[in-house]
Amino acid sequence: MSDATTSAPRARRFKVSRQLLPYLLSLPALLTCIGILIPFLTAVWYSLQRYRLSQPWNRGFNWGQNYLNFMTDSAFWNTLKVSMTYAFATVALELLLGLGIALLLQKRNRFNNFVSIMLLMPLMTAPALASLMWKLMTNPGFGILSYFATLLGFEDFRWASDPKTAMMTVVIVDIWVYTPFIMILLLAGLRSLPKQPFEAAALDGVPRPFVFWRITLPMLTPFLLTATLFRVIESIQQFDIIYAMTQGGPGDKLTVFQVEAYLNFFQSTNVGRSAALLMILWAITYTLSNIFIKNWLRLREKQRGNA
Amino acid sequence: MTLELKNIVKAFKSDVVLDGVSLSVATGETLVLFGPSGAGKTVLLRLIAGVIDPDEGTIRIAGRDMAGVEPEDRGIGMAFQNFALFPHMDATENIAAPLTAKKMGKQQIAHTVEKVAKMLKIDHVLHHKPKELSNGQKQRTALARALSGEPDILLLDDPLRNVDAKLRFEMRLELPRLLKSQQATVIYVTQDYKEAMALGDRIAVMNGHGIQQIGTPRDIYMSPANLEIARLFGDPVINLLDVTPERSERGVQVMLSGQPLVIDAGFAHAIGQSCVLGIRPEALQFVPEGTPGAIPVQIETEAPLNEKTVTLALTKNRREVMISRPSGTEAPSSGTAWVIADVTNIHLFDRTSGDRIEPGQSAAVQGAA
Amino acid sequence: METVNPIERVLRGVAITLVILFFMFPILWIVLMSFQTNETILRMPPSVVFTPTIENYQALITGKLETSAGILEIAFMKNLFNSFFLSTASVAIGLVLGVPAAYAFARLKFKGSEDIAFTLLSFRFAPPLLVLLPLTIYFQQLGLANTYGGLIWVYQLIVLPLILWIVRGYFEDIPADVEYAYRIAGHSWGATFRKIALPLAGPGIAAAALLAFIFAWNNFVFALVLASADKQPVTVGALAFVTASGIQYGQIAAGIVLSIAPTFALALYAQRYLVEGLSLGAVKG
Repeated sequence: MSDATTSAPRARRFKVSRQLLPYLLSLPALLTCIGILIPFLTAVWYSLQRYRLSQPWNRGFNWGQNYLNFMTDSAFWNTLKVSMTYAFATVALELLLGLGIALLLQKRNRFNNFVSIMLLMPLMTAPALASLMWKLMTNPGFGILSYFATLLGFEDFRWASDPKTAMMTVVIVDIWVYTPFIMILLLAGLRSLPKQPFEAAALDGVPRPFVFWRITLPMLTPFLLTATLFRVIESIQQFDIIYAMTQGGPGDKLTVFQVEAYLNFFQSTNVGRSAALLMILWAITYTLSNIFIKNWLRLREKQRGNA
Repeated sequence: MTLELKNIVKAFKSDVVLDGVSLSVATGETLVLFGPSGAGKTVLLRLIAGVIDPDEGTIRIAGRDMAGVEPEDRGIGMAFQNFALFPHMDATENIAAPLTAKKMGKQQIAHTVEKVAKMLKIDHVLHHKPKELSNGQKQRTALARALSGEPDILLLDDPLRNVDAKLRFEMRLELPRLLKSQQATVIYVTQDYKEAMALGDRIAVMNGHGIQQIGTPRDIYMSPANLEIARLFGDPVINLLDVTPERSERGVQVMLSGQPLVIDAGFAHAIGQSCVLGIRPEALQFVPEGTPGAIPVQIETEAPLNEKTVTLALTKNRREVMISRPSGTEAPSSGTAWVIADVTNIHLFDRTSGDRIEPGQSAAVQGAA
Repeated sequence: METVNPIERVLRGVAITLVILFFMFPILWIVLMSFQTNETILRMPPSVVFTPTIENYQALITGKLETSAGILEIAFMKNLFNSFFLSTASVAIGLVLGVPAAYAFARLKFKGSEDIAFTLLSFRFAPPLLVLLPLTIYFQQLGLANTYGGLIWVYQLIVLPLILWIVRGYFEDIPADVEYAYRIAGHSWGATFRKIALPLAGPGIAAAALLAFIFAWNNFVFALVLASADKQPVTVGALAFVTASGIQYGQIAAGIVLSIAPTFALALYAQRYLVEGLSLGAVKG
């Protein structure tokens, strides 16, 4: 095959394969994903239709009607509000906590390494199972957290079943699962920072709050930004934790985008509305992910350059 | 195997690295590619090896066009500047790589590896992984890997660059014999002019997108094509003095520190032109005071340089010149001295373009007339 | 940094303790629950003193649940098997598809390669239901509904981008000259890929595979939408189990422990690569 005594026409065939090779190598992966693109286009199509599984005779194009309906649809505004609240609350709290823990564990020693590995466990727990764990802990009958609430003087504290505390409960579960993600990213960031500015600041006796605000934080910004965007994109799409915990209830307290779309599709079989909801979610995440990918690429380049 | 490059053009994005390079190397010849970093020497090697493709131009090996021929089918051996050893294979496997490709028998491979390793004196570290080898051993392993397949064409990309001075010196003595024993066509890249002079049958000087001069080491040294090349070859560096040739009753002369120096009458076409006169330090000689044409210089310092001694002196116009003589010969070591230039061993360059000015044939014609 | 005052030390200690408590307590509590009978679980106030029992695990593993109403069949082991099978098969296929593509993106820069790589990456961030809901209808038509094959295909959405981007980084880290050297030595492109690129990127490929496995294992929504009971992994199965088993809380806890143990083990084993994997190759751990 690879004999040095090949003739001219043979050489030409090599040339073709050389150009085709990368396409041949990536084609299987691409084809697999193109299979995914088709449903995506279908979703766009559905979102422009009046389409209920229960009323197949009534199916037809209504163009932007599904989207227009949202303007006056209080359920939609509720979904938007709940999703935004959830995303904002989780990411903000996780950032604060994650940064705090990363700073606590910044120094490389065995104890800190051990703790940071331990803290990974919630992140390795399937979010749906994490919800289940917290559901057991907040069970009004025997849940340890319900018991603690009683000890603290909250009689009959109902956690996720109470409209007033449902949001707080799922946010806590989200924090429990995803704070370690931010923590570990920021920890890697903190540990990769150059030492000189800090040594210089220590020599000059610069007060530590000043060092934190003027040196640590600015240098950590690319990591903070990557972690934040990553989490916002995921959090605004959260489904597992909320669905496993309350299936969107009580009432419409937790009907975030994906949960609402799921319920629309499978319970009220309103395919058109469900698809339109998801398209709006997609538009939001697409914008965010474009910003994210740019930022992430820059970080990747920088970190690889350092290595 | 002969190697022929014709009009090779290669650019990376908008950055032109090679612009119309042509070159031909005869079977068994060692051609040194010499030039500063960034001159495109490594790119040229990679084009020949086939790991990158030229934008334009053809590469022929033994007359066959290499367009579209994969690197593995070109019959080439290559040693990289950074060694590029396979980190997960021991020295034996590294050296055996070209042999396994030829589907050789196990015993034959072991035998060949042993032989090449002995020749390069690394037979005692054959079972070491690259990270357990010293820099010198890595370099020899890389060389052994390039040689073991007995390639028709051997590309050596500055193989002595990353080794220490002592080893470089040893290898410089050892390599010519080794390369000759291979009977391969060799292209050797270096930034070290001594290496180029020691190893090359011919030297191609690369600078600014292409080859500026190609010739035997003697050609390059004796008639450098431009100022740059004159400066790159020779240690100590050639003395360069601004002059303007003028007519004299004895032909053409230039004024050095007020003393006329009569040069080849063939330079008549350069009369009145702004020029640079190049005089190699060894073309200057100390002479007793009063010798006709002798220039006075003020001696600054003297340094022995192995087999020669170099004197740094200042001319009347306070320009530095270097005078070289065989060590052990007598010469004034301080104060004022007189030197004279060997007019048969001077170079004239155009001051603006830097190009060499060749003496015309008119000299002989006129002389005969 | 070394001169820490005692008050700060105490505060740090308290903070770390609280952090560990918050993040570890739920896991600890569920593990404790899994060794308790329903009676001890329901006892108020809760106590950490009890006689441990393994009957919850026994019931799960044998698949027989003895309740006052009689013997109930539980399919939890089937769920566990599904999780193993779906994750393993998805990762295996993801590797076969993703590693060559990662190599193409890393080494053989070709026209449109970056665009394609980004398109693949952006799948990672699209709402999964957007694809899944129409897919339920297609799967019905194609006969892929509730099949392992269909699920494994959809799992590529999680597995492929991860493998592609992590492994690509490792391929990029191999000096090109090392590969060139092997080719010039006379080896074909394929041999160079197998003998040089794959072994040198080996640790990265292993890390990507482990992480992809964890992500596939932890997935919930794909199987929730596309699989019915007999194909469901533990994430979906456990939820159904809660309703089915009624008040057998100890067994739910044991089920959770069994479901999260494999990913914990893998995470501990691969912790060195977790940072890199979680940041899709942006940050080296």
